[in-house]
Amino acid sequence: MDCTTTNAPAERKFTAKDYDSKLRPIWCPGCGDYGVLQSLYRALASIGRPPHEIAFISGIGCSSRIPGYTTAYGFNSVHGRALPIAQGVKLANPDLLVLVAGGDGDGFSIGGGHVAHAIRRNCDLTYIVMDNQVYGLTKGQLSPTSPRGLKTITSPYGSFEEPINPLLYVLAYGAGFVAQGTPADMPGLTALIEEAIRYPGFAFVNIQSPCVTFGEDDQQLRAHKAKMQKLDTLGHDPSNLLAALDRARAYGTELHTGVFYRNPEPPPTYEALVKLRQAELAKSAKPRSQVLEAFVQR
Amino acid sequence: MIPYPTTQGLDPAQFSLRDALDVAILIEEEARDRYDELAEQLAVHHTPEAAAFFRRMARIEERHRNQLLERRQTRFSGEASRVRREMIFDIEAPEYDEARAFMSVREALEVALRSEIKAHAWFSNALLSVQDPDVRGLFSELAAEELDHQRYVQAELQRHAGEPAGDPGPYGDEPAPQ
Repeated sequence: MDCTTTNAPAERKFTAKDYDSKLRPIWCPGCGDYGVLQSLYRALASIGRPPHEIAFISGIGCSSRIPGYTTAYGFNSVHGRALPIAQGVKLANPDLLVLVAGGDGDGFSIGGGHVAHAIRRNCDLTYIVMDNQVYGLTKGQLSPTSPRGLKTITSPYGSFEEPINPLLYVLAYGAGFVAQGTPADMPGLTALIEEAIRYPGFAFVNIQSPCVTFGEDDQQLRAHKAKMQKLDTLGHDPSNLLAALDRARAYGTELHTGVFYRNPEPPPTYEALVKLRQAELAKSAKPRSQVLEAFVQR
Repeated sequence: MIPYPTTQGLDPAQFSLRDALDVAILIEEEARDRYDELAEQLAVHHTPEAAAFFRRMARIEERHRNQLLERRQTRFSGEASRVRREMIFDIEAPEYDEARAFMSVREALEVALRSEIKAHAWFSNALLSVQDPDVRGLFSELAAEELDHQRYVQAELQRHAGEPAGDPGPYGDEPAPQ
């Protein structure tokens, strides 16, 4: 008799602790990112790749500190530039499992232009955005996902701008895997991160990870628990792009968690196409010894 | 209604006594580690009194874990566990969003009380489906212990009644126009 309802093997090669660098996070107590980190450890344990086969690239911001808290290779890089660097890492060594992380400002303001190109290029990356709707590290300014009317030090009378909808944004550019989670549901979030990593191509997970210091009360985890609705309980079909677009429109008003869209027929990844092209060209390529000779003859 | 703390892939109705002990050990382990984490967070964020209380809770959870581990080793020495830590989600561990910088000891005690209440709820709910008499015995005992812990925390809370909520004082860092 098995004590579990899953078919998971009892003994795994890696446990969540194997991905914990023991460097203690300096996020504020109560920050949503603690739950994201725990979910990530568990998802990685479930995937089972050794830490030295994982590269974790981030931008700048509170959430971008996350690679340092894991035992994976990490690069806390340049503001908004995590995705170009991660694509470079993936192309240089396609065997690596490449994770990318950052906040909503990093991903949709400073790095906003990179997201579209990373999606259309379709490298096999998992992009995790910890969306707290505010610039927390710099003490609470408006971010691209801040709700209209939000009062901050840069908008003392309330913001005039409509927020970017990260879910619609990535769906519109053709991301093959789009999901949203919250650390208020750690088992659900763990499963989403795992599924995103397993998707063969660009995968995006928007995590509503509240800022406990500068965030609004209705954005905190207790509020998430009350209003969260799992897409699979709403009868959502994640293979239906139009249904996904429709559900994604509720960003900012409702909190839907789960997989919005999973391309049922994932196209080949950029690195797979590069490999094919290399193989094709190799057929007609001169041997290395003749290359210099050809140069000299010219 | 007390929310039923979540686990992943665990079905208490299918537990053997060994599984039940393993789960109970992991629950205590997770609570110990979480209290330690919260203590570290609060120590870094100028909240030493609440940090000290969470350290004390971590030691208590560690003691419970060791007691259960001893029983496990006596009964099932050398037998591999079928339960993994990854399956346990905040059964007794306080949730991350419970901690706040500058929280008072009273507020920290309230966090501990909520954790003991949800742990009791988990064992009580599990007992609704468990048939194995040994597992029932263990879970009944652990549910009763969680009630004892609740009483202990409530008694401590009485001592801190009237204590105001945490105040950032000189460390206050409210947003200000720049």
